[in-house]
This record gives sequence, C-alpha cells and structure tokens, in this order.
Amino acid sequence: MQALLARRNIVAVGIIVFAILPTFANAYIVFVANLALMYILLSVGLNMLLGYAGQLAFPNAALFGVGAYTSGLLRLEFDLPYWITLPAGAAFATLIGLAIALPALRLRGLYLALATIAFAQAALWVFGHWNSVTYGGAGFRVPPMDFSPLPIDPPTGIYYLSLIIVLVAVPLGWNIVRSRIGRAWVALRESEVAAETLGIDLTRYKAYAYVVSGLYAGTAGALFSALLGIVTPESFDLFQVIVHFCMVIVGGIGSLWGGVLGAVILVGLLEVLRTFRDLQEIAFGGLLLFTVLVVPGGAIAMIKRYLPGWNEPLRRIGKKR
Amino acid sequence: MKARRHFLSTMSAALIASMCVVGAANAEVGVTDKEIKIGALGVLTGPLAKYGNTVYDGIETVYEEANKSGGIHGRQLVYVREDDRCQAAEAVGAAKKLIHQHKVFMIHGGACSNASLAAKPEIVATKVPWVITASTAPSLTYPVTPHIFTTMLAGWMESYAQVQYAVEKGMKRVAIIAQHDNWGRSRYDPLMEAFKLHGIEPVANEEIVPDPADATAIALRIQAAKADAVILIAFPKAAVVAVRDMYKIGYKPFMIGGSTVGDVGLFTKNVGIPGATDNLHAVSTIGYAADDPAVAKWKKLVEAKYSGDTFNIYHMFGIASGQFVVEALRRAGKDLTRDAFNKAASNLSVNTDVYGGPITCTPTNHQCHNTAAWFGLVNGTTKRLATTIVTR
Repeated sequence: MQALLARRNIVAVGIIVFAILPTFANAYIVFVANLALMYILLSVGLNMLLGYAGQLAFPNAALFGVGAYTSGLLRLEFDLPYWITLPAGAAFATLIGLAIALPALRLRGLYLALATIAFAQAALWVFGHWNSVTYGGAGFRVPPMDFSPLPIDPPTGIYYLSLIIVLVAVPLGWNIVRSRIGRAWVALRESEVAAETLGIDLTRYKAYAYVVSGLYAGTAGALFSALLGIVTPESFDLFQVIVHFCMVIVGGIGSLWGGVLGAVILVGLLEVLRTFRDLQEIAFGGLLLFTVLVVPGGAIAMIKRYLPGWNEPLRRIGKKR
Repeated sequence: MKARRHFLSTMSAALIASMCVVGAANAEVGVTDKEIKIGALGVLTGPLAKYGNTVYDGIETVYEEANKSGGIHGRQLVYVREDDRCQAAEAVGAAKKLIHQHKVFMIHGGACSNASLAAKPEIVATKVPWVITASTAPSLTYPVTPHIFTTMLAGWMESYAQVQYAVEKGMKRVAIIAQHDNWGRSRYDPLMEAFKLHGIEPVANEEIVPDPADATAIALRIQAAKADAVILIAFPKAAVVAVRDMYKIGYKPFMIGGSTVGDVGLFTKNVGIPGATDNLHAVSTIGYAADDPAVAKWKKLVEAKYSGDTFNIYHMFGIASGQFVVEALRRAGKDLTRDAFNKAASNLSVNTDVYGGPITCTPTNHQCHNTAAWFGLVNGTTKRLATTIVTR
C-alpha cells in the first residue's frame, strides 16, 4: 500500500488527471485547475526563497503583478505574440527580483519582511497610479491569445500551456533544491555564520533565491494575465501576499512538494468555500491556525510521517543499474 | 531507465491527446417548466459586501413577490449567488461556475467594476443574458453587446451630473475635494472632463485620503480660494471629516455630494453637528430616501425577509433592477429563450418603485438608467429636490 502511494505514483496520477481534465470537466473546473497550476508556480518559487533560503521576504505578489503587467502591456501596446510576451514578463520580473535582492541582502528577519511588504505595497501603488503606462485603477484588457494552427480554443490553450510550464518548472525546482545551490540555501537558512565559514558566498546564493523566485512569480503572472484577459491592480494586493504565504505554510515550508500541495489545497479550499460564503474567512484562518499549531511542517509533514517515499533528500540518490 | 522513458512517453501521449479535444458549447439552459434559474455575480463578503449582498437582498425580495403571485408564466424564480470578492480572478471563476456548474438562464448582478469587466468575456462568449445592478464602468455596456444591460448609472454620469448641477445653481467658483485612489479616479477624471466641457476651471482642487483624521488644512485652502460651491468625491468617512472641518472653521459653501452621501439623513447623523449639512445636496441613483413613504412597502418586505438588514439605497438598486428583469421575463413570453429575453429587454421601459426616472433600454442603448436624483435635508428629513437626465 505504501508503495502504491509513493510520490512518483501520486505525481503521475496528478499529471494524468490534469492532462485529461479538459476532456470531461466543465469550463469552471478547468479554470480552477488552471488557477491551481499558476499558484503551484508561485508557491514553489516562494518556497525556495522562504523555505529553502530562509529569507522572510514577500516580494512575490508584486513580482506576480510585474509579470502580468509586462506581459499584458506588451500584448496590448505592441501586439506581440504570446511566445515573446510570456518570457518577457518572466524575465522582467526576474530582473526586478534581482533588484530587490540588492537592498534585501543587508536585511534579515522582521526587517526584511517589512521591507518586502513595503515593496509589494509600493508596486501596488504604481500599478494603480501610473496611469500613462498601467492604465491606473481601471486596469486594461489583454488581447486574447491565438493558438492557431492548433485546434484549441484560448482557455484550453492557456490551460495546457500552464500545465507544460509547471511540468518543466517543478522538476527544474526539484533539481535546483537538490543541487549545490539548494544545499547552500539550506546552509544559510540554518546559520549564515556557519554557511560563510563553509565558504558559501551568501550574497550570491541569496541573490539566486530572489532571482529564481522572481522567475517563477513572473511566469505565473504572465499566465495569469492571459487567463483572465484583464490586468487590474487589486489582483496583486496584500491578499495575494497572504495567500502565497499560506500556501507555503499549509503545504509545508522548506518542501518543494509541500509547495505544490499547498497551492492545490488552498485553491481548492477557496473554491469550495465560495458556496459557504459566511464561513470563508473563518475556515481560512482556522486552517492556518490548525497548521501552525498541530502540523507545523504542513501537509507534507503528515504525509512524510506515514509514507517514507515522500522524503526529500537534498542530494540526488544514485540509481542501481 | 526504460521505465522512466515509458513513463514520460505515456505522460506526453496523454497530454497531446487531451489537447486535441475541444469541448462543445452547451445549448440554452436554466429554464424548466417549474423554474427559471438566475445567477448573481458580485461581492458577498468583506467590507464591500453591501454593494453585492444588500443589492441582491433587494432583488430577491422582488423575485419573491413575483413568485408569490404565481411566478413568471407559472415558473418560480430561483436566485443563486456567487461571490467574486471584488477580485478579477474570483469574478471569472464565479461567472464560469454560474454558467457551467449551476447552468443559469441569465446573470443578474455585478458590483465592483473591475471584477465585472473581468467576467465579461466569459459572459460574452457564452451569450448568457446579463443585467448589471451596481457596476459603473461604462465599457460594460458600451459598445452595445446584445445580451448585456445595466440598470445602474455609469460612473461618469454622477460626475457629469455634479458639474451640471453646479452650473444650473449658478455657481461661479467651484472647488473640488476628491479621493485619488482607484475608486476616486474613476469619478475624478470624468469630473475634470465635465468641467472642461462647461468651460470652467475649479478654483481649488484638493485631494483627500479615504480615512482622514483631519481636513482642516483642506477646508482653509478652499476657503482662501473663495469657492462658493464644493464638489465632494469621497467615501462617507472622508466626506464626514471634510464637511465637519469646513463647518468647524465657519465656512459654509454649497456642497454637491456624490452617491456615497446620497442618504443625506444618515450622512448628517454621521457628521453629528446640527446644521453642518444644511447646504449639502447629493446626487443618487435612486429616487427616494429610504424612509420615504413611497418606498415603505419595500422597506417592510426587505426588513421582514432579512432581519439583519436596515433598508437602504443598496436595496433599492436591487429592487429597481429586479422589477426590470421581472418585467422583461414576463414580456419574453411563456416560451422563454435567451433571445426572447434579450429582445424584450432591448425594447423595454419600466417605471420602477424606487428610481427617479424610468429604466429604458433600446436596441442601441443598454445603459438603461440615466436619471440622477438630488437629495437634501428639508426640515430635518431627507427629500428629493430634483432629478437630472444625464447626457454627455
């Protein structure tokens, strides 16, 4: 039974379900699944910064917005194809992520958290007030994507594009956290002094964490703008900061697969609770409290307790040939 | 290695096969012999819930009255609410859920403009009739989409009406106190347009934050500019502070408020200084004060059905819109189709119980409400003073 529930099998089932979902589910379910895919990118990216590198930083909502605005504006103003605007959105968010890293390298703990939340608020202000570029509070419509000559409509196309990106980004993240970079992140998370004495270049590895996190958030943002067809400032407000943080906490901080789980759980929860509107905020807070008090390692910690196949060693384990 | 290759090829095959399958659109839905299912899309939770929930309480009260009198051609109206939390992503999800999961005949609702704009492409793509109740973005109904209508004044109309009213009252030196946040900008920009159209320049133009502790400096600057009228674009809390501080320094200009202070009686209570709002006239979408005997029937019904509600202007948005929809459904006939509804609504004029003028849709104009009403205090009671047909 334990072998059946091994991570490899569950992930395979998950991929199959996501892959065939549009063939039997209605447009609403497909939309929710698409949101979950985007939040997986965000959650995995933030988990690398927060959980692995130990940086108590929250720039992701803003970088998510930067990716969405860059990609959307390039589509709107220059009518560029999506295969250019998506990487451009991701790249610009990555650059901004790097720019944040520079001042953030001098900060830690609570001060870092406050500085990055201030950045998120400042970005929100820019989105809402730089009228000549961002179209201010009213936002702007993004021209729909065209997937021709493929015989698929835009929502289905965006869904599969998101799925393909997740299928690349999650294994990429999995490889990063098991590489020298991931081990360096964990070392500096545990003790910056000890990491430095081991010869780890703190500046470089912290910058890597911000860059990778920015790349994931920017990619998710670019997909988000295509999915909604509209970009408005309130989509990137403090609520997003909280949601991303909760995904990491509920799924499992410092666990890449926890980030994936957290995104799926939170998106599912928010949708299920849509029907029980009076209970939404209570249930959301309750889940957070439950996680923090009862399972501080998140959902992944519970799984790991009973299913050893879910462990996440920080190195690649050699295969028997 | 072989197993991994097999695994990857299986995954790829599943992915490619699925990408080639495209779902077909559903035929008309949401109508049975016994009921018509209608969906509400809007904000139901959080601080802005009154723009959604309260409005929908008004709509549901009208539906219930229609149901009590036998329904629409024998069919009961069933109202399903979905929360968009005033967020674009949530609005798209809510619209998709109503259309594809609940399979509603039409959507009746829409509160926050940006959320409604985000939901619009899905509603347009599926051709589901949509009557908007509270969103004010003009691009929701212009250019005309055959199945989208609004029973709310567009955002620019309120601002235009304020300038028009100042001109009609013979005011020469007009000042502005406005919020410059997202909400404020959507009214401030058309306000400046209207000033330009009338060929006048504001003598003072002051920004106020949504929750100020003090506005004395603003009041002093406007007083120094010798403004004889002040146009207010502010949430009630900010407007309270502005009005209070102008009165505090002994400055009593003619004040032209927006719909946020449209319930002048309630606003006066919040200001808490007798006489401070004597010179305040406020524009509103609705045509009657909440305690006006003309709307007593609806006040009684709403407060009986929703024990936690105190009847207010937001209920009236819903009541007017509900009466329009009920009439359009009735005229669409027994063989109800979406096309029949759209046709009926596109050629309909309804004098509702709560607006100052009729809701009138034509095939070329789906901004169906354009009568702004003006309210002020008369002998301590909120009264309608005038109505304005707003044009651009």
